[in-house]
Amino acid sequence: MPLFSSKSKTPHEAVRYLNDMIPSLKNSKEKEHKKISEEVTKTLHILKTQLYGSQEQEGSDLGAQISAEIVTSDMLHVLIENLAYIDFEGRKDVVAIVNNVLRRQIGVRTPAAEAISRSDLIFLLINGYENQEIALNCGMMLRECARHLVLVTQILNNARFYKFFEYVEVSTFDIASDAFSTFKELLTRHKVDVATFLEQQYDPFFTHYQSLLNSENYVTRRQALKLLGELLLDRFNFTVMNRYISQPENLKLMMNLLREKSKNIQFEAFHVFKIFVANPNKPKPIMDILLRNRERLVDFLTKFHTERSEDEQFNDEKSYLIKQIKELKPVEENVSYQIKEENMS
Amino acid sequence: MDQEEFPGTSNEDQNAAAMDMFYGIADDGDLVIHRVESDQVVYKPQRHKVKMLGKYLVGGMLGEGSYGTVKELLDTESLCRRAVKILKKRKLRKIPNGEQNVRREISLLKRLQHRNVIQLIDVIHNEEKQKMYMIMEYCASELQEMLDSVPEKKFPVWQAHGYFCQLINGLEYLHSQGIIHKDIKPGNLLVTNDECLKITDLGVAEALGQFARTDECRTGQGSPAFQPPEIANGQDVFSGFKVDVWSSGVTLYNITTGKYPYDGDNIYKLFENISKGDYSIPEGVSEMLSDLLKGMLAYDATVRYTLQQIRQHPWFIKQHPRVFASVKIPPRPEDPDDVLRTMTVIPSLHAMHYGDDSEEDEEDEDQIHEFSVPCHDEPNDEHVSLSFGNEVRDHTVPFEQRQSHDVVGEDDGALQGAVPVPNSDYEMKGKKGKSRSRKSKFSSCKQS
Repeated sequence: MPLFSSKSKTPHEAVRYLNDMIPSLKNSKEKEHKKISEEVTKTLHILKTQLYGSQEQEGSDLGAQISAEIVTSDMLHVLIENLAYIDFEGRKDVVAIVNNVLRRQIGVRTPAAEAISRSDLIFLLINGYENQEIALNCGMMLRECARHLVLVTQILNNARFYKFFEYVEVSTFDIASDAFSTFKELLTRHKVDVATFLEQQYDPFFTHYQSLLNSENYVTRRQALKLLGELLLDRFNFTVMNRYISQPENLKLMMNLLREKSKNIQFEAFHVFKIFVANPNKPKPIMDILLRNRERLVDFLTKFHTERSEDEQFNDEKSYLIKQIKELKPVEENVSYQIKEENMS
Repeated sequence: MDQEEFPGTSNEDQNAAAMDMFYGIADDGDLVIHRVESDQVVYKPQRHKVKMLGKYLVGGMLGEGSYGTVKELLDTESLCRRAVKILKKRKLRKIPNGEQNVRREISLLKRLQHRNVIQLIDVIHNEEKQKMYMIMEYCASELQEMLDSVPEKKFPVWQAHGYFCQLINGLEYLHSQGIIHKDIKPGNLLVTNDECLKITDLGVAEALGQFARTDECRTGQGSPAFQPPEIANGQDVFSGFKVDVWSSGVTLYNITTGKYPYDGDNIYKLFENISKGDYSIPEGVSEMLSDLLKGMLAYDATVRYTLQQIRQHPWFIKQHPRVFASVKIPPRPEDPDDVLRTMTVIPSLHAMHYGDDSEEDEEDEDQIHEFSVPCHDEPNDEHVSLSFGNEVRDHTVPFEQRQSHDVVGEDDGALQGAVPVPNSDYEMKGKKGKSRSRKSKFSSCKQS
């Protein structure tokens, strides 16, 4: 026991100790394991306290020093790779340490993010969603990583990004919803870059996305639909929106979702459906579907969510859509769409 | 003149006399002062009027704009602090596009939800009074007011950086929703008590159509000093997003240097200077910052930075050391001691719940106070240390034993203890006046 005493450890020694001991957690036997594990957790806690404590006092560079030590000694790798072997309390401290280090800057540089981007670490974190024990810890770290454009680009440009489409549907609810919030963060944090990604990877992305919209799981379906609406209505994704609303299978899907049992899903579907109708330049296939269903759509929309009488915007949009559909002509031009908006004169 | 001031004077004798008196004063400069005996003066403290607006309690005035006044509110259901913009329809009609601008602002705000954009919570119409109330998030101050409170009219770099980053976040959100603000300036940036910046006043903002291919705009109604060359030159069509970038650039220039890139005695001179494109960056501005400013104030809108470029600029990314003391939100001019800008609804709350100084009220209050005394004067652990296990039936027992020596039996003590017995110290407090007892009530609330 005295061998592993942490009382006199300097930050430098603490980092070195953790770097040495954490990998041995994996292979150590039961009794020994317990001993090391306890000590590791204790040291992690001390390290975390030092890292956070020093942030308060300006000018004290202890935190910066520890942070530099962690990055240069490749401790991030040790921590993330062995996360599953560290005990519950220790894991929480690992998350706190990693997230703190990720936030630190030297001038305009973010050394930790750069270090992670040079390695495979980000994918280790994504894989973490497959292990119940550490899934939520990894999620927290991933969302911190999502603040850094380099790391988001790294994820989006890798096939392993599509793993998220599985993770958001796992049966454990808290993991699935954690994965979804990470997924959303990745797609909404850096709008311009994500727009480029969506344009380039349109087909693979939306093929996968389709499966979420057709999911058996109510929560997945609803969340995915909501996010879809947000993405399409975001001006940065203008090109993507135009492409999406020109594909008849997407319109069919939305029309089916409009008729779902759940009112919430109907409502979210409405916000995607409206873009198809409002589009001033509807391609022929879209126009054909709308024309074929004109009477039924008008009828349906008139009775649609009549209880939302308070929601002015919704009602304005709804009556606008009804009017649009009624006035549909096989060849149509110059119908401009405005959300309850008077033209400036 | 005189006729106007005293209408109908020519008809009545009495009034003629009054007029004589008036002239007498005017001629001699001899003022007649009525004496009133001091015992005849009945001083009645003005009763505070409590005003409600729906479920909101109305507080003091926060500011005044061209459209109407802004007052503080307290939501009596959620206890949230709010602000209300009171718009008089009659006034609105006089302002060009006034009503239209307000209607547009409301419809835009309703669909926006971002931490750096002011949130519209409710709109109340009062047809009878011809007034409209826009209830919004409460913000403690605006950047302009903070700048005006310090002689150098600028923020230390790190503080300006904090606000600027939030401005860009809010602006990026607005642009992502297809909204061009068109009037970004320190006067339209509010700050909450926890240093969160909120973009406000979308009165002249423009929403692009969902299917508009470009961000083309044709009108600009913002503040002249913040307008880009394309507007100063009177171009017909220009990029809307770049207008906001320019005015954010002027804002950044202003909050870091205390100056404006372009000046002019009048709007013509100003626009002439802007269209010339000659400006200088004051000394003392770091190279990094001046590079960003140049990018944002680029004359040609096509080479002017995009929000994306601003985000990637080193000055934006950099963590600036907190070297100088921050500029704090100044106290309100009406109350220079109130550095924290406490709620202005408090007088109304008092008036509502404590009424005027009638005796009945005082008693009520004291009772509340009495109950709160034991628990806050005597921490629990002290009782435990003083008493012997099973004797403790009530917290007030040991209290009683210590305070009054004439209590004999423990049972009696317990009985009496249940009824709060005023001790001498307390009675004094009670007589001293309300304000004191109120204070202690608040502190006891905090403790429990």
